[in-house]
Amino acid sequence: MREFLRSLQAKYMLIILIAISLIQIGYLFIAIFVMGIAKNMDNQNFSEDITNPDAIEGKWHEEANDLQHISEEQIIQHFAKWKKSYPEASMFWVDENGVLAEQMDVKEELPYDWTPSFTAKFIKERYGGDPFTVIAFIGKDETNGFIVLEITRKSFQPPLQTVYDQYGTILLIGMILIILLFITVSFLFFRSIRKRLLQLQEAMAIRDVDGLPIQIDVKKMDEIGQLEKTFNEMVLELRESKQREQEEEQLRRELIANLSHDLRTPLTKLRAQTYSLGRETLTQQGKQAVKALETSIVDTDRLIDNLMSYTLLMASKYKLDRKEIDVVRYVRESLASWYHLFEKEEFDIEVELHPFKNNKWKIDPIWLGRIIDNLLQNVLRHAKNGKYIGVKTESTDEYDAFVFIDRGKGMKNESIERGVGIGLSIVDMMVKGMKLDWDIESSEKGTTIKIKRYR
Amino acid sequence: MIQILYIEDEIDIGSWVTKELTEREYVVTWLKNGENAEKYLQNADIVILDIMLPGLDGFSIGKRIKNEIADLPILMLSARTAVEDKIEGLSFADDYLTKPFHPDELVARIEVLLRRFQKNEDILEIKHLKVYTKDRRVVNSNTNEEISLTGKQYYLFQYFIRNLNQILTKEQLYEGVWGETYMEGDKTLMVHIRYLREKLEENPAKPMIIETIRGIGYRVKV
Repeated sequence: MREFLRSLQAKYMLIILIAISLIQIGYLFIAIFVMGIAKNMDNQNFSEDITNPDAIEGKWHEEANDLQHISEEQIIQHFAKWKKSYPEASMFWVDENGVLAEQMDVKEELPYDWTPSFTAKFIKERYGGDPFTVIAFIGKDETNGFIVLEITRKSFQPPLQTVYDQYGTILLIGMILIILLFITVSFLFFRSIRKRLLQLQEAMAIRDVDGLPIQIDVKKMDEIGQLEKTFNEMVLELRESKQREQEEEQLRRELIANLSHDLRTPLTKLRAQTYSLGRETLTQQGKQAVKALETSIVDTDRLIDNLMSYTLLMASKYKLDRKEIDVVRYVRESLASWYHLFEKEEFDIEVELHPFKNNKWKIDPIWLGRIIDNLLQNVLRHAKNGKYIGVKTESTDEYDAFVFIDRGKGMKNESIERGVGIGLSIVDMMVKGMKLDWDIESSEKGTTIKIKRYR
Repeated sequence: MIQILYIEDEIDIGSWVTKELTEREYVVTWLKNGENAEKYLQNADIVILDIMLPGLDGFSIGKRIKNEIADLPILMLSARTAVEDKIEGLSFADDYLTKPFHPDELVARIEVLLRRFQKNEDILEIKHLKVYTKDRRVVNSNTNEEISLTGKQYYLFQYFIRNLNQILTKEQLYEGVWGETYMEGDKTLMVHIRYLREKLEENPAKPMIIETIRGIGYRVKV
C-alpha cells in the first residue's frame, strides 16, 4: 500500500480525483446558489402569475373594472396592494378630466394634463415596449378615467436567467480558473516526470574511467526511482562481471606466464649443458649434434612463445593498446635490432624506408614489433638460402605499406623446419586486430609480404 | 675487476652462469634468494636478477635495490617472457633478458650496462683509437696523438660508445645527444658526424669507426 501511495500512478490518480471533485463541488455550489436564489424569489411571491404578462394584464383590467366609489384614497389603496405584489411596478391614475390625479413610483416625467393626442402617443409608444404597460379604465364605463401599470420587462425573466445575468461572468471565470488550475497541475506533474526521465537518460549515458556506466542517486521511490534502482543494480552486476572477467583474464595470463616459465627453465638448463658440451673436444659428429641441439632449443623457445601468444590471441586476451606512433621510425628501429642477425648470416640487406604522406598509424607498437619479429624470424629460418632481405615502403593511391622481400624458396617449398604456420597465424590475427591488411606473394624465387594500411 | 651480484634459485642455471661469467673474469657473488642481498650491494657493479624466487620475488628485490642505489645497473634474467612482465621489470631495471639465453648475449648486455653506468674499465680500444672514458680523452694509437673533440662531438661519440655495437637511427642519435625531437630533413646530425669522422677516421671517405648502415642509421662496433 505504501509503495502504491509513493507511485506516480497514485499521484496522477489523485490529480484526476481532485479535478473531478472540484468540478463536482463547483456544480454543487452552483446548484445550492441557484436554489437559494430561487427560494429567495419564492419568498418574494414570484409565481408564474407574477411573471406572466398576459395574466397581469387580465388581472389589472379585472380589478380596475371592479373598482367602485372612485376616490383618491381607494386608488392609493389599490396601488399599494399591487405594489406589494409587484415591488418593481410603477402606477398612475389619470381621472375623467384627463388630469394626472395620482402616481406611485413613476420614474419618468409625466404631463399633468393628458390630452387625447398625448394619450394616443403614449399608448402607441408603450405598445409591446419596455416597460410592460397596461392601461385600464376604472369601473364599468370610461367616465372615471384610467389607471396605468408599468413593470419593467426584466421582472418577468425566470430566476435562473436573473442569476445568470448577475453571476454568470463570475461562474465562467471560476470554471476557467478551475480548468487552468487542472492544466497547470497536470503540466507540472508531467514536466517533473519528463525532467527526471531526461536526467536518467543523461546519467545512463555517462561512462566511468573503466567504460562502465555510473550509478545514479535514487531520490524518490516511485516508478522512475525503481527504474533507477534497477539500473544501479544492473551497473553493479556489470561491474562485478567485468571484475570477474578481469580476474579470469589475470588468472589465464598468470597460468600462461607460469607455464611458459616452467617450460623455459628446463630449456635454459638444456642450453647450459649443450653450451658446456660444445666447449669440450668433440668429433665432427658430436659438434653437429650440439649444433642441432642448440637449433632445437631456439626453435622450441620460439614455439613456446608463439603458442602462448596464439592461445591469448585466440581467446582475445592479448592486450591491444592502439596509439598513434611514427610507424616508419618504429620499423626502422626494429630493423636495427635485427640487423646484426642478418649480418651474421651474411645476408644482403636492403632497407629503403621513405616517409609516408602520414607516418602516424594508430597501432599497438608491441603488436607491430611482434609482427616484424615473426616475419623476419621466418626469413632467417626458412629463406636463409636466398641470402637476401629487403624491407621497403610502398605508397599507392589506395594504401601505404611496408614490404618484406626475401629470395628463399617460397612458402610451397617450405624448409624442413616446421612452425611457420603458427607464426603467420599470429601475424594474421595481429594485422587484422589493428585494422590493417596484409598479403603474401610467394613463388620459387622468393616471398613478398606487404603490411598495408588503406587510406 | 667487475663485481656481479647474481640472484638465482635454480642451481643448474646459477652454477652455469656463475662459471661462464667467472671464466670471463667477472667476480660473481651468487645468492639463491634475495634475503641478504643488501649486504653485497655496496661492492657490486651490476646486479643480475631472476624473477621467480623463493620469498621476495625479483620485482620487489629489484625495486628495493634501485631505491637504495639508483646508479647500480640491474639486469633482469627471467623465463617469464610476457610483455606485462617485461614492462614491469623495465619500470625499474635497466635491461631484461629472457631464458633460454646465450652466454655471449648475457655478457654483451652486461657490458652495455657497465658502459652506460660507467662502471667498467676506463680505456676502450676501437680499431686505431683508445678512448679514456673517465678522462673524456680520445687518442690515436697509431700516432699517439690526442684527438681534440668539441663538446658536441664528444657527446655524440660518447653516445655511440654507450651503445656500442648497436645500430642507432638518426632520430635516436639526435634525441639522445641534442635532447630535442628530430625533424625529418634536419642536416645537423649529418654535419656533426662528418666532422667527427674527419677527426676520428683514418680515411673519412671509407669510415671504419662510425659505420653507416644504409637505410637504418649508424653504428660504432668493436
